[in-house]
Amino acid sequence: MSALDGADALIAATRAHRTEPSADPRVEALALAVSANLPVLLWGEPGIGKSATLQQLATGLGLPMETVIASVHEPSDFAGLPIVGDSPATDGVPMAPPDWAVRLARTGSGLVFFDELSSAPPAVQAALLRVVLERRVGSLQLPDPVRVVAAANPPTSAADGWHLAPPLANRFVHLQWTHDPRTVARGLAGTWPAVTVPTVRPERARTSLARARGALAGFLTARPGLTHHLPEDAESRGGAWPSPRTWEMVLRLLTFHYSARTSTSALALAVAGAVGPGAGMEFVSYLENLDLPDPERVLADPSAFELPGRGDRQLAFLTAVIAAVQAEATRPRWEAGWVVLQKAVDAGVPDVAARAAADLAALREPQWPVPATVDAFIDVLSLSGRLPG
Amino acid sequence: MSGTLDRTKLLAARYRAAIDRPYLATALFSITVVESARVPTMGVDRRWRCYVSPAFVARTPVPELAAVWIHEVAHLLRDHHGRATRLPPGTGDDHYRVNVAQDCEINDDLVADRLPLPADRVEPRTYGLRAGLVFEKYLQLLPKEVRSVDCGSGAHGVDRPWEHDDPGGVSDVEAEAIRRDTARQLRSRGDVPGGWRRWADQLLESKVDWRRQLAGAVREAVAWASGAVDYAYQRPSRRSAALRGVILPSLRRPVPRVAIVVDTSGSMGEPELAAALAEVAAVLRVVGVGGNRTTVLACDAAVQVTRSVYSAADVQLAGGGGTDLRVGVAEALRSRPHVVIVLTDGFTPWPDAPLERTRLIAGLIGAQAPEPPGWITAVRVDPTLQ
Ligand SMILES: [Zn+2]
Repeated sequence: MSALDGADALIAATRAHRTEPSADPRVEALALAVSANLPVLLWGEPGIGKSATLQQLATGLGLPMETVIASVHEPSDFAGLPIVGDSPATDGVPMAPPDWAVRLARTGSGLVFFDELSSAPPAVQAALLRVVLERRVGSLQLPDPVRVVAAANPPTSAADGWHLAPPLANRFVHLQWTHDPRTVARGLAGTWPAVTVPTVRPERARTSLARARGALAGFLTARPGLTHHLPEDAESRGGAWPSPRTWEMVLRLLTFHYSARTSTSALALAVAGAVGPGAGMEFVSYLENLDLPDPERVLADPSAFELPGRGDRQLAFLTAVIAAVQAEATRPRWEAGWVVLQKAVDAGVPDVAARAAADLAALREPQWPVPATVDAFIDVLSLSGRLPG
Repeated sequence: MSGTLDRTKLLAARYRAAIDRPYLATALFSITVVESARVPTMGVDRRWRCYVSPAFVARTPVPELAAVWIHEVAHLLRDHHGRATRLPPGTGDDHYRVNVAQDCEINDDLVADRLPLPADRVEPRTYGLRAGLVFEKYLQLLPKEVRSVDCGSGAHGVDRPWEHDDPGGVSDVEAEAIRRDTARQLRSRGDVPGGWRRWADQLLESKVDWRRQLAGAVREAVAWASGAVDYAYQRPSRRSAALRGVILPSLRRPVPRVAIVVDTSGSMGEPELAAALAEVAAVLRVVGVGGNRTTVLACDAAVQVTRSVYSAADVQLAGGGGTDLRVGVAEALRSRPHVVIVLTDGFTPWPDAPLERTRLIAGLIGAQAPEPPGWITAVRVDPTLQ
């Protein structure tokens, strides 16, 4: 055994790591966008585990991964090299594609990762962006299933922060790639978060698409101003912003989200990465409100519904239920209202429903008996010093 | 004293807080209550869980508890834990101190809003500081010795022994949605305290720091200038000899020339000008445009001085009126710059049409600066945003 064998074994040991299941919505958002075959741009300082995460993702998706470090390449590595044959006048000058592109074309699928995009000279960036947008490398067309991810340093980074022209920025899903120091510490100790690959269920495809189209159309009809909005400042224009092109990306993300049941947090990050944080958040809140139970249906059968999990959504839902009773105050509906409010008591949050309870109590006709549920609210209301007259 | 948590009293207090300030109801009700005998009073974690001491609830009257609820939700809405992680290295090491600075940021508004916070609260007044600043600022201004306050990792960003590790509660993304929703409700009301309104405006208008805007504009212009010609097939590359039949491009990457024109007349404040110049200098250094590629001109009615090295101290503010920056820009164009950066109070005529081969960036100093023509990239240098 030579001296270096020992060294190599040691190096291999330092590289070996375990993974643990994690619910990192950033990783999940990346997996969602890559599955949906949208070009992703990761913004973050170099050296924070982008390659390791992407390798895991590629393995999970069953794709070979090609890493191309943009800053050490020439434009010809992306545009191809002109090759002069014996008779260029008749045969033309073909552009020979680089080896990684040939490999991807031969395999027919894969994940290509352009790292350090922002450190490359402008012509390299331009050639590379052509690969991303037109999926052409020299005379070679990248097969449709090939996924593209690029990484760049943020504009505020001291090293070589960088600006993307607005039309190009508008073609990417932008994801901020910062790592929680605790994740890095744990990773260096040998355990990195595992990447969960979204599984698209083909039988859900049709309904998912229809649902996504409906949600998007509804939202943009309600908020037409968000269909297209170029931000004022250069920095935001170089990131994600709403345009018909990026909303189309959202349509695809949402369809994949519905059919693969990814988490809401991951969807929110990916959507914000396509249309920007403001429009993205508004869209996701809109979706959450769409998902609230229908008050009329709940009043018709108050035993069968589920109270939303988060307090703010419970509040929105309970307010909607009481408004529905107010609109048509019959005794069965009024009593159904109390059954609904009892769920908030059972969930241990009578205060969330206290206002609704006061409003519901005010609708009582003298001959209607007072339900027992009321007691749970009397204490909260009177202790608060805000018991309505 | 210990015992079980009087949940009804605690929730009655939250109800009171939400009824009195309905714009906070969404955020308040998003918080999950966790009983804990180890937390000193009440404290929040990053996932909007509020740890509550039963003894504290037992001894605190409902109106004070309601004020504490608003205090805790303010830490979360103002993203104190997120901002604490972005403090410059070395400044946020003492999390108790960070927490005191954050309480100063919150409590001045709450006291002005007549909320009966407990008597042992800290506020800017406690340390003889003025109200209305952000915690990052209070952190610099606080005296060496401050009280140790602990509102949990949802405030200062450091895990506490009583906090849970599980991923329940409110995620970062949901938190952002709750913040925006709260900000929108705030803005649609007339009866909101000034501190909350400023917070909402900043969140919804996502007011970008002028430094970042100015840096962004300069970077973009420089990238445009240096991207004009870089690789070319004109001259054979040295690699060509090794590969028969293949033509390789060679690298030609011009470093752009930049001219800075400083309007020395008018109402510009010295500190703002110095800050703007320093920012421009820093960006140029980072993008590799050195002093030898930069010209600085000081300009009032006629161009007085031309310097090839710049520092804020070298530019004399002459005061008085009568600026015509067209003279300064024309003078600057003699060095054939790719980018001209003008720092001005804006009270000047501008060139009639876009320049042919030069990008023009205007750093507008002072709140009253009029808008230049649309083809100029304008950045407002706003001294109120630090
Ligand atoms: Zn506090």
